[in-house]
Amino acid sequence: MADGALAGIRVVEFTDELGSYCGRLLADLGADTIKVEPPGGGVQRRTPPFYATAAPGPDTSIAFWVHNTSKKSVVLDLEASEGQDLARELALSADVVLEDNAPGYLAARGLGYPDLRAVKPSLVYTSITGFGQTGLHSHYAYSDIVGQAMGGIMTLAGEPADPPNVIYGHQANASASIQAAQGTLLAILYAEATGHGQLVDVSAQEAVSMSQETAMQTWDLQRRNRTRTGERGLIPVPLPGMGVYESKGGGYVTLYILAPSGADFPEMVSWMRERGMAADLDEEPYRTTCESLNLGTLSQVMANPQSAVALFPQLSHLNDVVTQFIASLTATEAYEEGQQRRLSVGIVSTAKDLAENRQLRARHWFRTIDFDSLGAAVEFPGAPYRLSETPVEIARPPRLGEHTHQVLASLR
Amino acid sequence: MALPLDGIRVADFSWFGAGPIAAQTLATFGAEVVRIESETKIDSLRIVQPIALNPDGTFKTGYNVSGYFNNFNAGKLGIQLDLNTERGQEIGYRLIEKSDVFLTNFTPRVIDKWNLRYEQIAAVNPRIIAAYSPMQGLEGPHRDFLGFGAVLTPVTGISEMSGFPNRRPIGVGTNYPDYVVNPGHTVTAILAALRYRIRTGKGQRVELPQIESVVNVLGTAVAEYLANGTIPTRGGNRSPIAAPHGAFRCADDSESVGSPDRWVVVACQSDDHWVQLCDALGNPGVASDPRFATFAARKRNEDDLEALVAGWTRDRRAEDVMLLLQERAVPAGVVQNAQDMLDRDPHVKARGYYRYLEHAETGRAAYDGPAMVLSLTPGVLAAPAPLLGEDTFDVCERILGLSPDEIADLVAEGILH
Repeated sequence: MADGALAGIRVVEFTDELGSYCGRLLADLGADTIKVEPPGGGVQRRTPPFYATAAPGPDTSIAFWVHNTSKKSVVLDLEASEGQDLARELALSADVVLEDNAPGYLAARGLGYPDLRAVKPSLVYTSITGFGQTGLHSHYAYSDIVGQAMGGIMTLAGEPADPPNVIYGHQANASASIQAAQGTLLAILYAEATGHGQLVDVSAQEAVSMSQETAMQTWDLQRRNRTRTGERGLIPVPLPGMGVYESKGGGYVTLYILAPSGADFPEMVSWMRERGMAADLDEEPYRTTCESLNLGTLSQVMANPQSAVALFPQLSHLNDVVTQFIASLTATEAYEEGQQRRLSVGIVSTAKDLAENRQLRARHWFRTIDFDSLGAAVEFPGAPYRLSETPVEIARPPRLGEHTHQVLASLR
Repeated sequence: MALPLDGIRVADFSWFGAGPIAAQTLATFGAEVVRIESETKIDSLRIVQPIALNPDGTFKTGYNVSGYFNNFNAGKLGIQLDLNTERGQEIGYRLIEKSDVFLTNFTPRVIDKWNLRYEQIAAVNPRIIAAYSPMQGLEGPHRDFLGFGAVLTPVTGISEMSGFPNRRPIGVGTNYPDYVVNPGHTVTAILAALRYRIRTGKGQRVELPQIESVVNVLGTAVAEYLANGTIPTRGGNRSPIAAPHGAFRCADDSESVGSPDRWVVVACQSDDHWVQLCDALGNPGVASDPRFATFAARKRNEDDLEALVAGWTRDRRAEDVMLLLQERAVPAGVVQNAQDMLDRDPHVKARGYYRYLEHAETGRAAYDGPAMVLSLTPGVLAAPAPLLGEDTFDVCERILGLSPDEIADLVAEGILH
């Protein structure tokens, strides 16, 4: 196996839901990553879904698996002094300590940054928390939904009539881990160049907040708040070829035909015509309207819906025809055929669609991981990036405490 | 060495969101980033809302007044170069020759057209880290599929998995993957490759197909299907390990401009959280109601549970509910908007997350700071985003070594601006 980009770096992590993905990124890139876990394991090991053909337990949580590949697992009881001593010894053997505990928790156990730095000045110490190490909310109790709410992204998601929506997949946690991975690598580069380690402080609230898109700047420049606008988005009336459409079999696609990229609406009509689904769109007055539908129409409607009122009955009819057309295709057909015509068509992929996605399969993105103890080989989603000289390696996530003896023996 | 990336030069051939944000992070930590732009293929973010206002409330005009663009390009040098010409590509290659990192998120089609394939770049500068972040990957049957964040959100499964189950898959209100997930993964890969180069002298190609980057953080959905054959779908704001878990409406707030409805999120991850919540909101007796006393019971009666909590929060200020719950260590937070983030959240303000920079055309404006606070080498937003072509002369002279006469000729030919 070729050396990974982070070969020679040891990471010792004290993480659960918030920081384990950061550790995974470093581990898959080749860092020797040791996860210190409490007896019985943390929350993530108890989080569903579980691998269905085995009994649910700390070693079969899929949530744990996908956030903890390529790591070693050492169980230490940080509530006992022996566990604290061993953890400290282990931490001091590392180049990077990564943790996501409440501020002060590790310090109270002799594992805080000042304690370790005093012995090892080159140590990079990355702390990921809900609200950061400083400030009046730093001690606030955290959960992913709290990060998404306080970070300003939930207010933008959902129908106005509904409560604001959380984005699936613990995206505040993921964002915090991704920001922390960048910060950790920056600090590693600096430490390797100068011998000076440092503290990398990541707040999940801040980590996710750039995903407000333009809301921050809209308030700053115009003193307006962006709000959640739901399915209609920023467009005040239904426009043909813009939005979510149901396909044959109940799947969905999204169309952005009038957006700036790709072919325009007449290409959409050609497609419908070839499929015998263009209805009366080749007849006037629709024909002329179809030919002139483009980004300009969209901008006009968005800027001043009143100016386009005369067009609305026609647009509504066009949209009905598009709706019927998409309903005659499966979501995958609509996606593949539309994109072949350079139309902005997106499939609303289900997990199954993604597992069968032609592009991901052709690129051999999925990785098969052998779980000897389960007598099974399980496919995993692949890495977020590909490095030509130092390929990302995704190795099996560890069983709870799998490496305790091996790692502790190596300290002696 | 003041910052981790001092001495690193980045040739930023990217546009829109994900690419420019990645390069901005590199600039914040010390890299000299040269952003290539052209008026003939303008970065659309330069001309879309939010646009800075004139004192009379009308929109400012031109290429330099969009907060969308400016927030992703702070601290960069900007040059205008027409890559559609052979001579323009030669100038581009002079920059590539003198750079440590090359970055683009153009489509494979455009990369081919402008002769920016890795083997072409490596032939000129074998030590370079060349990072590509196309939508679907540089190869494969879908490599030329169109897309931007709005298409990526459905294609990667975020739309299917987010929102309430009684609603269609409407997405999440933004082009979510563009702002943290994709640029953050891109920077992670570039920094790892830089470390490898420092140790071995070898450059390499980094490829970040945006679909692969995003599906990777799609929680457990795809892994669950692959392992168990089950197809999960969106479940609203609920959680498999916490109840109540969601957003609850509070009293309206007329000072919240244009969004007076206020919400608080609550995540009871344990029975103790539930007991504390009942106590904090003045209903301690309910905690032991058998319909809600255990996690399993709360999940069974989740509709009733949510209606109950909603009744408790409806007439209180969201900030008050958050405070009451946080005093008892129950995870809770206000659903904040941008006004809160910039002006009303005392914590964000005290930490100094947002940076304010004086810009020649917009005036003083807010920028997202780096979300990783490095104690010894905190990032610096050294300058606001460049005006279109602001640094063309400086970069051509100082970095590319062109003479004033050569530059004048190239301007006359329309290759530089």
